[in-house]
Amino acid sequence: MDRNDEQKLASMLRSRHTQAASPDLAARIVRKAQATPQIQGFFLWQALRQMFIELHLPKPGYVLAITLILGMLLGFSTAPQIASNADLSSASAQSFLADDEGLL
Amino acid sequence: MYDRAVPFQYYVRQIAIMPVAWPDKEDNELLILVQDGSHPAFAALVERHTERYYRLAFRYLQNREAAEDVVQDAFLKLWEDPGKWRPDKNTKFTTWFYRVVVNLCLDWQKRKRPLELKEDMPLIDERETADQAMLRREEQRILEQEIAALPERQRTALNLCFDEGVSNQDAADVMKINLKALQSLLMRAKTTLKERMKNYL
Repeated sequence: MDRNDEQKLASMLRSRHTQAASPDLAARIVRKAQATPQIQGFFLWQALRQMFIELHLPKPGYVLAITLILGMLLGFSTAPQIASNADLSSASAQSFLADDEGLL
Repeated sequence: MYDRAVPFQYYVRQIAIMPVAWPDKEDNELLILVQDGSHPAFAALVERHTERYYRLAFRYLQNREAAEDVVQDAFLKLWEDPGKWRPDKNTKFTTWFYRVVVNLCLDWQKRKRPLELKEDMPLIDERETADQAMLRREEQRILEQEIAALPERQRTALNLCFDEGVSNQDAADVMKINLKALQSLLMRAKTTLKERMKNYL
């Protein structure tokens, strides 16, 4: 009895009703895709991975490259601040001199 | 000739872009072309798989328009960002895309009110008498109601395993569980259904 129930249930589950899809569903999806642009994102990590695959670099290379990139990023992000301070002091000195010359 | 110095991905891409008729191409090859923005490759992929994913979505949502919307959304997401599928992860496209469709169906169900099951399901076998057909319709209606009331994971296991062409191993991969866990979910779902459908068995 239980085995019969099992079989009947399995048969009911296999013959579940599915309403047919619209015949143009696939065409509709393709048409919509033609009007939709693909996302052309540039991801640093993906680009790095690709580069390492292409260059056959070992895994420690990842760490080294990332350390170098981080170091460069940090270096570049702090450098302009020092430069701008120097620029400011030289600019103020020049303006002082220019004022002085004006008086003469 | 295979040259060890050339990365394997180079060969995969070269094979993918060879001028072979679209139906002869594997899903993976088509996807590499889709990643390069090929509309014909995307169309071939859609033509090949729309029906099966629609069937799965319909089993969840029991509504044609909703199921079509979900399948359309899934394919458009794939088109917009084909890089989401990664060939190097050893996942079959069909398995990965089943997961995408299942997730969209579950999201859809969470966002919208549960759909009313239609009373007037069409006859399946025209040789049946009117009484038999009515009984069968009623059986199907109750079955769909009971399946909809099952816990989410049991419902997913049932929907995947009783779909043509999806093996238990594939269903387990879709759900990211092992085969034993899937079998346990199926067993629990069937026990519940047998109990609730005992008047119709």
